[in-house]
Amino acid sequence: MDEENEPESIPNENLDLESDEYDDDVAELSLEQVIEIMEEAWLNEKFAPEILPNKREIVEILLGQIGHMDQKVQHLDSLDFKRAFYQKEINRLKFLVTSYLRMRLEKIETFSKHILQQERLRVTNNENLYLSQNELEFAQEYEENLNQHFESVMSFCPTVMNEEALIVKPNMRSIVFLKAKKDIEGILVDESNDITDLSTGSRILICYNNVANLVKSGDVHLL
Amino acid sequence: MYAEKACNLIKELSRCEENLPPYNNDLVKEVCSEIKQLHDQNRIDGAIVANESGIANHNSVQYPTLRVGVAATKRNVRCLLAYHYNRLRTLRTMRWEFGSVLPAEIKTNLSPLETEWFSKYSSSLANYMMSIGEDGLNLGLNLRPPKALYIEVRCLVDYGKYELSDGTVILLKKDSRHYLPRSECEELITQGIFQHIV
Repeated sequence: MDEENEPESIPNENLDLESDEYDDDVAELSLEQVIEIMEEAWLNEKFAPEILPNKREIVEILLGQIGHMDQKVQHLDSLDFKRAFYQKEINRLKFLVTSYLRMRLEKIETFSKHILQQERLRVTNNENLYLSQNELEFAQEYEENLNQHFESVMSFCPTVMNEEALIVKPNMRSIVFLKAKKDIEGILVDESNDITDLSTGSRILICYNNVANLVKSGDVHLL
Repeated sequence: MYAEKACNLIKELSRCEENLPPYNNDLVKEVCSEIKQLHDQNRIDGAIVANESGIANHNSVQYPTLRVGVAATKRNVRCLLAYHYNRLRTLRTMRWEFGSVLPAEIKTNLSPLETEWFSKYSSSLANYMMSIGEDGLNLGLNLRPPKALYIEVRCLVDYGKYELSDGTVILLKKDSRHYLPRSECEELITQGIFQHIV
């Protein structure tokens, strides 16, 4: 798995599953890659303490594929041996996507204030946003509702509310397990300036703060 | 003792971890009035302690009183916020467990404000789910990793006729057992109509 280079962009041309006469081999290969990227994103999201840049395109491609497979399965005879296999695979993929999106929502809700602050910062710095458009809308609505609730609870004495105290931040110093996808040199291990090199496929237990950039750039993935 | 009532609020909540105890309106009100009273007292003390230039005079006799008062206010406020925040978190978990309609016995434990928050949360969640993909994705399904395609369920109520997604109609009677695709019964299990037989 490690020898394969992950494609940086989504191989759109290979994903031509919508055409009626479709080649099983090509379709399966490219779908496999999409699933691989999705699985990795899912693991990263699961173990990273903070929210990661969204994988909106992958999610949408996969959802499209699931819909397509679903339709195909409906046409199969219910006694067909293949049907159960397809159905099982579809269910697994559905779980993968929904679980990924659910975990992101959970993070958005827990760290809503912090995440929105960071997103505003990214807008001013002209960086790419981490949340997708609909996630951002959800985050804003959630935040507004929460504020409203607190305000009405504390309305009897408005002067004592302290905004800063309400911010919940992720623990960036939590420890994560990761696997390198390529050779990386000079990772800071701890505050004492210890530096280590990782070769492809090696694993290490390390503080998330030191490797956050590598996770986001896709050079390593969390386990 | 200051902040004791607020602490009781928190204790009450932590005693029933995954359950939602009734909203303790009386105690919340008492804490609120304690905060208000402390707040006013702090202001009076502050006026005595402060010297002409408005800076607190550490040698004043009132200074320790003021410090205690401020600390107690802060603690009260924090407890109050924690109480409300954690109730919302529990409520949020319940939204995922029960769907947008809460069981009646939980509904009675909510304050009007919480009911309002819950319906707003439900609707923004629904909006979000509708906006995923081409025609929406129900994140309330597929909550657990799929193990088997079909599962055995027991029907807990007289539900009547139920149509499966392939068009077959089955009759759900109380205590009847069915062997169905997992995806078909997940929603009915959350609604409490089916029980999964392991």
